Amino acid sequence: MTEPAEVETTGRFLVLLQEDAVDEGVAELGAIAGFDPNSGDLDTEQVQVFPELGVAVVTADPNVLRELNGAAEGTGPVQIVEPERVVHAFAAPVEELEPSADESVTTWGLQAVGADVSTATGKGIKVAVLDTGWEQNHPDFTGRAITTQSFITGESVQDGHGHGTHCIGTACGPRKPSTLPGYGVAYEAEIFAGKVLSNAGSGSDGGILAGIDWAVANGCAIISMSLGADVPAGTPYSQIYETVAQRALAKGTLIIAAAGNASSRPGRVAPVGHPARCPSIIAVAAIDVNRAIASFSSGTVDKIGQIDVAAPGVDVYSSFKLPEKYRRLRGTSMATPHVSGVAALIAEKTGARGHELWSRLASTALRLPLPSTDIGGGLVQAP
Amino acid sequence: MTSSVDQVMVSVAEGSLPKVLNDLREAGLVVDTVLEALGVITGTAEVRAIPALQSIPGVLDVERQWRVQLPPY
Repeated sequence: MTEPAEVETTGRFLVLLQEDAVDEGVAELGAIAGFDPNSGDLDTEQVQVFPELGVAVVTADPNVLRELNGAAEGTGPVQIVEPERVVHAFAAPVEELEPSADESVTTWGLQAVGADVSTATGKGIKVAVLDTGWEQNHPDFTGRAITTQSFITGESVQDGHGHGTHCIGTACGPRKPSTLPGYGVAYEAEIFAGKVLSNAGSGSDGGILAGIDWAVANGCAIISMSLGADVPAGTPYSQIYETVAQRALAKGTLIIAAAGNASSRPGRVAPVGHPARCPSIIAVAAIDVNRAIASFSSGTVDKIGQIDVAAPGVDVYSSFKLPEKYRRLRGTSMATPHVSGVAALIAEKTGARGHELWSRLASTALRLPLPSTDIGGGLVQAP
Repeated sequence: MTSSVDQVMVSVAEGSLPKVLNDLREAGLVVDTVLEALGVITGTAEVRAIPALQSIPGVLDVERQWRVQLPPY
């Protein structure tokens, strides 16, 4: 997520380092910002390094910042520099649950899309989730048909991040786990877990396209992609992803992708990211329990990347890697698998695939009193 | 710094894959994967070779690969 934004910032800067060259990246940072990475005790006011994430946080004056941006433009280990944003812990009561959201049986998200009262289960429908992989030892999925494949060199499909396991849980997780609430929309769908993002949460188009190819070749009716890269307004969509999405639709596979989390509403609405901005990929926005647009949800700001539908994406409870087992997360990443699960229910109930499935998903969405530029056709609804 | 090499992705016209693949290799594409269901090839190429790749009959588009990063939490 790379776009510099006029959001609440700290005056510090995040520097993304090349994943396999973190030490070299820190050395380059030191040369630019004027610290010695081998001095043992770095001043955490000046620089903090997170080797697992491949990220450093530095305090930089404008001169140093210019040099950092120059380094990021080149092909060295310093890849991306962006202002550090002020963020709030997921547990912080920024957007509290209304007392009316009773999650004793199912999550508020399942209730909002009507999955809790639908007779459809997703049975017989193959759903691919392309993400950070899958927690293979999660007790809630014992006995489920799960096909896995890693497209990350040197990493198994085992989810060392948690994001992928959370998304799979929302799209296809159980309705009656041993500890309630139930959190899965299409709870009898056949799961295809493709790892296209590393345990550090990063990936590239090569792996993502390989994952799409795998899902299409396996006859998946739906591909759920809670991933993307933020782009400046006016950026053309990828012609290659557009061709790929059209070919997938022709073969009966619908691609659903997260719009992005780059907005800071109400002040700023960020454009839909790559690849969700392609016209033949469904772009998903996030709403909260009060059916308000989520503050971070990217939106339609030009004619290129347009929001198609919306789904629950704040305070979303789902499965997570062990030992945590469950977590509450927010993001258009969490809204996307709600849409994918609902699409699986519609596919099961109607037999629709490809363009017809898109049409049914969009036409049955619940209209909300919000701009279509924020939520497209509305909140998706289970059949 | 080897700034002259890029990871790329190439889409090709339906049904043209085997022939186009050979032409792409000859024009300098080091093939990583051939995605047959999609009609897409990924690989690496020198930046200066990209116009030659683009001009091969049957090639629809050549683009640099993007990188994607989930926000840390």
